[in-house]
Amino acid sequence: MSATCELQPKDYKSDLKPIWCPGCGDFSVVQGIYRALAAIGRPAHEIAFVSGIGCSSRIPGYTTAYGFNSVHGRSLPIAQGIKMANPDLLVLAAGGDGDGFSIGGGHIAHLIRRNMDITYLVMDNQIYGLTKGQLSPTSQKGRVTCTSKYGSLEEPVNPLLYVLAYGAGFVAQASPTDLVGMAAVIEEAIRYPGFAFVNIQSPCVTYGEEAQQIKGLKAIQESLASLGHDSTDRLAAMDLAQHYGRKMHLGVFYRNPEPPPTYGDLVRERQDLLSKDALPRERILDLFIKK
Amino acid sequence: MAIRGIDFANLSLMDALDLAILIEEEAEERYEEFAAQMDQHRTPVAAGFFRYMAGNESKHGLELSARRAQLFSDEPRTVSRAMIYDIEAPDYDAARAFMSPRKAMEAAMASEVKAHAFFVAALPALKNAEVRALFEELRDEEIEHQELVQAELAKLPPDSGLSDEDFVDEPAPQ
Repeated sequence: MSATCELQPKDYKSDLKPIWCPGCGDFSVVQGIYRALAAIGRPAHEIAFVSGIGCSSRIPGYTTAYGFNSVHGRSLPIAQGIKMANPDLLVLAAGGDGDGFSIGGGHIAHLIRRNMDITYLVMDNQIYGLTKGQLSPTSQKGRVTCTSKYGSLEEPVNPLLYVLAYGAGFVAQASPTDLVGMAAVIEEAIRYPGFAFVNIQSPCVTYGEEAQQIKGLKAIQESLASLGHDSTDRLAAMDLAQHYGRKMHLGVFYRNPEPPPTYGDLVRERQDLLSKDALPRERILDLFIKK
Repeated sequence: MAIRGIDFANLSLMDALDLAILIEEEAEERYEEFAAQMDQHRTPVAAGFFRYMAGNESKHGLELSARRAQLFSDEPRTVSRAMIYDIEAPDYDAARAFMSPRKAMEAAMASEVKAHAFFVAALPALKNAEVRALFEELRDEEIEHQELVQAELAKLPPDSGLSDEDFVDEPAPQ
């Protein structure tokens, strides 16, 4: 396979059969990823796809990219390590809302401030589905689950506001209710030169509430383009992001019109600067020897 | 059901045939996926029905491909799968674990109705007479497909009125 031949979505589909519950939103998400990757046109061996733990974290296995189904909440540190070790790779990270905003919640801020060129796809279903329906960080207040018999007392995390507040350069939302739009948003996120975040509202067919299924989501979806939203206006994006949980805005909330250098760019710059004074490999220990 | 970037007014016969082939291919793949999902969840009758539907879609796709080859030989395709979504393929959320044969057939029927609606909606925008004739033919075929599914539904014993959930244990917390 070479980078010049035209790749089709099916070229990114692995032989592994998904074991998600029939009707799960993640079936559409993986289709959106295939389409986006085909549009980007990078061959599968140039892509590293890292995930945490959860239903949605199975997704790298369903692609032909190099995949790493890692540790709960730790997809982002591993993705960053991969990107630093091999900056030429296209690095994707994926997981659920629990993986991203609870167990791994502390990692997002640091990835954003480093601005590493990684695309993070969160399949937000507002529940821990794989472990059979416990409250997750994005579960709505009042939500009744097996761990909240009388309704949740906690306000949900707003993933969109969270990443916008930390200064992410690309923030978007998608849903299986609009696969064409979802593929386009994922493609745009991958093309963004820096950290890109896509919150994908992907319903859990087994433990999700009725209002969060495809029909319910369709009823509250609204495309940002149809609202005339200016995706270069960060404050307007934050304003719209506050509707999370009540309305489902689809599209790009924010795209930094002047993307700053990525961490990789800065590291290379620093390496170039210091390389002229660098010791040859055989003298590398001299750094630690007192003269 | 969604489309992207299709200019119906200027659609050529070759592009129209290619779109029709892509629509059949998408439906075939989706039914195969549904069959695999049913296998995964030990629902063999629904899996068998979805495979039957995949076979039908494949047959129609091959017929259209033969026609396309006869008319346009191996002229390169200018339309792509990115332009269509869920035209004749059942929606992903139409599948459920432990689907009864009836539910599986109803999902297929909904897809055929959806495909018919697509061709009906596209017709007013078409300007090319040959493309119009093709779309009318495809629209009418969707009615035939509906009759095919209806015939399968008729073979089933009367509906018990029970839902699939009646046969499935409640999800248990761990």
